Amino acid sequence: MTMKAKQWNAKYIFQTYGTILAMILIILIFSILRPGAFCTLRNFINITRQMSPLMFVAIGATLIMSVNEFDLSVGSMASLGGVMAALFAVQGRPIAQCFLLPMVICGLIGWLNGWIVARFRVLSFITTLGMSTVLSGIIYRLTGGATVFENIPQSFAWLGTTRVGTIPLLSILMVIATAMFWFLMRHMAAGRKMYAIGGNEEAAKIAGINVKKYKNLAFALCAVLACVTGMLVASRVGSANTTAGAGYFLQSYAAVYIGCTVSKEGVPNIIGTLVGAAILTILSNGLTIMQMPTYMQDIITGGIIILAVIAQKLGRGDAK
Amino acid sequence: MLLRTEHISKQFNGIYALNDINFELLPGEIHGLVGENGAGKSTLIKLLTGVYRLDEGEIYWEDRNVTIKNPVQSREIGINVIHQDRILIPAFNGVENAYLGMEYIVRGGKIDWKAMERNVAEKAESLGIDIDLKKTAAQLSPPQKTCLEIIRAMMQECKLLILDEPTASLTDKESEILFSIIHTLKERGTSILYVTHRMDEIFRLTDRITIFKNGTMVETVHTCDVTKELLVKKMTDQWSSQAIEHRQEFGEVMFEASGIQSKDGVVQEGNLRARSGEILGVFGLGGSGRTELLECIYGYRAMKEGQVSVGGATVAKPSPAKSLKHGMVLICEDRRGKAMIGNLSIKNNILLSSIDDYQRGGVLSEAKETADAQEKVDALQIKIAGLSQRAIELSGGNQQKVVFAKALMTKPRVFLCDEPTQAVDVKTRSEIHRLLRQKADEGSAVIYVSSDLKEILEVADTIQIMSRGRTTQQLRNEGLTSEQVLACCYDN
Repeated sequence: MTMKAKQWNAKYIFQTYGTILAMILIILIFSILRPGAFCTLRNFINITRQMSPLMFVAIGATLIMSVNEFDLSVGSMASLGGVMAALFAVQGRPIAQCFLLPMVICGLIGWLNGWIVARFRVLSFITTLGMSTVLSGIIYRLTGGATVFENIPQSFAWLGTTRVGTIPLLSILMVIATAMFWFLMRHMAAGRKMYAIGGNEEAAKIAGINVKKYKNLAFALCAVLACVTGMLVASRVGSANTTAGAGYFLQSYAAVYIGCTVSKEGVPNIIGTLVGAAILTILSNGLTIMQMPTYMQDIITGGIIILAVIAQKLGRGDAK
Repeated sequence: MLLRTEHISKQFNGIYALNDINFELLPGEIHGLVGENGAGKSTLIKLLTGVYRLDEGEIYWEDRNVTIKNPVQSREIGINVIHQDRILIPAFNGVENAYLGMEYIVRGGKIDWKAMERNVAEKAESLGIDIDLKKTAAQLSPPQKTCLEIIRAMMQECKLLILDEPTASLTDKESEILFSIIHTLKERGTSILYVTHRMDEIFRLTDRITIFKNGTMVETVHTCDVTKELLVKKMTDQWSSQAIEHRQEFGEVMFEASGIQSKDGVVQEGNLRARSGEILGVFGLGGSGRTELLECIYGYRAMKEGQVSVGGATVAKPSPAKSLKHGMVLICEDRRGKAMIGNLSIKNNILLSSIDDYQRGGVLSEAKETADAQEKVDALQIKIAGLSQRAIELSGGNQQKVVFAKALMTKPRVFLCDEPTQAVDVKTRSEIHRLLRQKADEGSAVIYVSSDLKEILEVADTIQIMSRGRTTQQLRNEGLTSEQVLACCYDN
């Protein structure tokens, strides 16, 4: 068989840019339905701020999925991050310590996840499920099951509420993190190796790539990023709920799966994840403005996730 | 006439994979199907088994016009296929696997395992196949798996059995068992469509041969009317069979492995020594531990004891990364499983083993990467649409060239090649042979493992025999015959 010619027909455009077109379509629909409330600069800035915590944990999920593993503990990890940061703040530690110490601790826990998976060759699915339960237990031990909100100093809210001009610090941090990890995955040796491991672990091993090292790295980074999500949420609302991270687990993987449809190879990628996180946030923002009941929001969001996965299969020609 | 196709065609993305094929198959004949990779053999099989749908043309089955919509329907009319990669469920035993896709026998709401086992055992006996049906598929050896697949195919009425490279992972002795089963099937009136790259099998087994080239059918000939040279000429335009020259004199010892023992006990004692300029062929029957020995040396399989040295320097605690650093590459047998990442681009596959050579402070230099990958693509004449094309989209021969390009990127001095020409077309095969000869002439040492004895005799300067996990005699490849080599294998 000879090579495929690049075809600039409707099908090709749909397959390559379908997800981005869908995002634009969603924006258009909300803009037409609620021009005054939705289609304003203020609301768009608002959307980037709402998106920020989701994007951090979703970047982590992208890294994990790029090495073909799963981390089910990101939800509890985020909750733990928020709780630890808040408790450190209550103890009166300097604000930098409040935010850096949880990242170090979560990074170590993530590294442990990776070490268990690589050393004993067990499924990451079940390892991290177990770790998630362990973390929930630790959170309960730390808080007694109650939300941490008393005696939190004002300065704790700095991270979540500061604005640079009209732009929230959260949005700026998201852009920086996205750019950094895009560069890591796209232009650095570590990213290339992680994709190789995800594509075919045995082939990567034979090519001399240190599979264990990069899996550990992915797990550690994923945990740190989930921790950041938890801390951003806690700082934003000025309190740490023991299950604040729970909702981010499914959302983050949904963003990654939607994001896979953006790449030609159908692999997890940072830009795609950004689009995925944007779609999910725009939906929730728009539907809230439309005063849609929560259950309808869930039905529509879930439906879109399923559609995205179908679109990905069709795009890659795997579907029969 | 059992099967007749009239003007059938199949396109992918506007390009013909098969064009205007008029193919005929008689009842009870063994029909060979030959052609280079990408000639359209697999496409024809997939049309006959309902994996693909026809674009144009008609299929007549027992002189009735049929439309084959899906694999189930194909099985119902009596077409069965046995693929190169065997499709069995590893955890199921022989009886369960034989009954895959068929109704289980049920009596009083309970599965009647005894009756099913009886049926399968009878079928096996009538085919002259002797395997333990209680073992799970995972416990069976490659030829036993093939036998089990044949039993499964014959459980229902099978009029046409398609065998796609069935001997690719079998040794000569194991192949013999398969051949005798094929003859039994023929006597029972089953037609066989036999697809292979191996010329000797085609001439031994088939009654007639159909030749495909670039998606078209060249012609169908009676096997007795053609010679190997003629057949190869019909399959390809520019290729002429030429054995590469052997060398007599070699440089200093480039590679040495001694006392290799694998942790899993498959390799008992492996000793290999190759000099600069030498192609050392390693030959042994199936299960002799050839693949495992190479994997141990390379540091991919866990080693219990043993010493490896490259160019005089000892490789302490071998690992793939260390082997590469010492200038030793492994080109492994299982291309899709271990050598290639199908979903990645051709460029990233070529650069897979040398990512760190292109980074500074962790950042990759992509312009340099592209230039060097393109250079290898040109040098090896790999046919691609572009460096960003996914490797999986290439034909088998071109995929293997990508694997070689990846190996060459690390500038190796020692090549460990395990079945490097498996499932590639004759032209690529000779290109690979010439490439390795050239690398040896430039001073490298090449270890060449193949289960095809003729290939070993064609390529190797020296032949190392391996038997039951041990390396035994070493023979100089001068006027050596296959009988002499085989005699050494059976001696021990």
